Amino acid sequence: MVEWVRLAVPAAIVAAIGSPSYAIQYLTVEQSRKLSFPSATDFVPIDAQAWKVASDGKTVGRYIVDHVIGKHLYIDYAVTLDAGGRVQRVDILQYREAYGGEVRDRSWLNQFVGKSSASTLQVGVDIRNISGATLSCHHLTEGIKRIVNRYGKDGR
Amino acid sequence: MEKTADSIIRARPLLGTLVEITARGTDGRQLERAVDAAFAVVECVHCLMSYHEPRSDVSRLNRANGRAPVVIHEWTVAVLKASIDLQRRSKGSFNIAVGAALERLGLLPSSIGPSARIGAVGQGAVELLPRNCARLLVPGNRIDLGGIAKGFAVDQAAAVLRASGVVGGVVNAGGDLFVFGPDEQAVGIRDPRNPARLMAHTMLREAALASTALGFDPVATDRPSHSSIIDPRSGEPVVAMSGATVRAPSCMIADALTKIIMIGGRDASEVLEHYGASGLFMTRNGDVLATADWEDVHTLAA
Repeated sequence: MVEWVRLAVPAAIVAAIGSPSYAIQYLTVEQSRKLSFPSATDFVPIDAQAWKVASDGKTVGRYIVDHVIGKHLYIDYAVTLDAGGRVQRVDILQYREAYGGEVRDRSWLNQFVGKSSASTLQVGVDIRNISGATLSCHHLTEGIKRIVNRYGKDGR
Repeated sequence: MEKTADSIIRARPLLGTLVEITARGTDGRQLERAVDAAFAVVECVHCLMSYHEPRSDVSRLNRANGRAPVVIHEWTVAVLKASIDLQRRSKGSFNIAVGAALERLGLLPSSIGPSARIGAVGQGAVELLPRNCARLLVPGNRIDLGGIAKGFAVDQAAAVLRASGVVGGVVNAGGDLFVFGPDEQAVGIRDPRNPARLMAHTMLREAALASTALGFDPVATDRPSHSSIIDPRSGEPVVAMSGATVRAPSCMIADALTKIIMIGGRDASEVLEHYGASGLFMTRNGDVLATADWEDVHTLAA
């Protein structure tokens, strides 16, 4: 049977305040609008965050950009509503964590030690993917509900 | 959309978390279509297997309450088959019949009365019947695929990307992920005591990694609060472990095995070995143990 080996892990410390944040830009607003409404001819502003979308004079839906802010998470997202005010898709535009900037920092990565001498650690390797406890989308779900209430009612 | 794009990264809120897909290929439009299709598959798995969706296979099985066979999707059949195997091999520490216990703890919406129970050790939760039919074995039981369906969705999304000609990439559903294609990827593992930090990292290629920790909501707090892992043998929340991470050939298996480690700790090694998986866990007092076969897992030096 496979044995268990003890690994060295330092005691938990609180993340340094003011550590650089970790951000990913998935889509610009422009890219997201094109993906959501490939055949749209007009984006008529409703207010600072919402547009009525038309294709050859016919309203095909609405496009809304919003953000949710939590203690450690900042998410910009776009909601696409069809002509009937129903949610068609939700795209994350930008995702930021108020921590995790260290992931890209070379000197910080140098602190990782392999447990075998034949370490395959690639120094300076870019850790883009993180496995860990599930991020809650609670705030995002609430944000989408607010948007549907505000912009989906008179969608026609 | 750039035609020359060789890599795109997109994210959508699905499965109650953020699902992020990275896809590499030669044609930007093709990548965009493939990623769309992969998100659609994740949504489809959600519709079939969510406890919260009244029309899901899971809800229909629970409502039928074992009285009559229910026709379900072949994907649900596949997940139930795997669940039965995992339950048997883990001697009951994996059991999808935890719906009632999770409801009592307020972790799932309440649908049933206090009479609902968890299947006894060794007792199967469901019976699979011919022609994609199934039924609950014990009336009053409630099945929940929350401990395995997310991993299955990740596997299916990766399969769709591959079939669409995507050369390589990553599907990451809130920390449960699969890396496919020729390139090795570095993956960080969060410290379950403090999601603001990584505690380890590893390299992955054609493999899945899944993690489980005591529940916390990083939007509201950075401290673990409650446990959302139930020991099916007692019906009580698991408190001995802070978190567990598993590397396995499929994300469905990795996802399920994290629960078996959270409950069994060292005792999980036989099950891990059977599924060709490696694992690590952190106890509540901060000790981290990993299976000896996991050569390229690196921890932050103490």
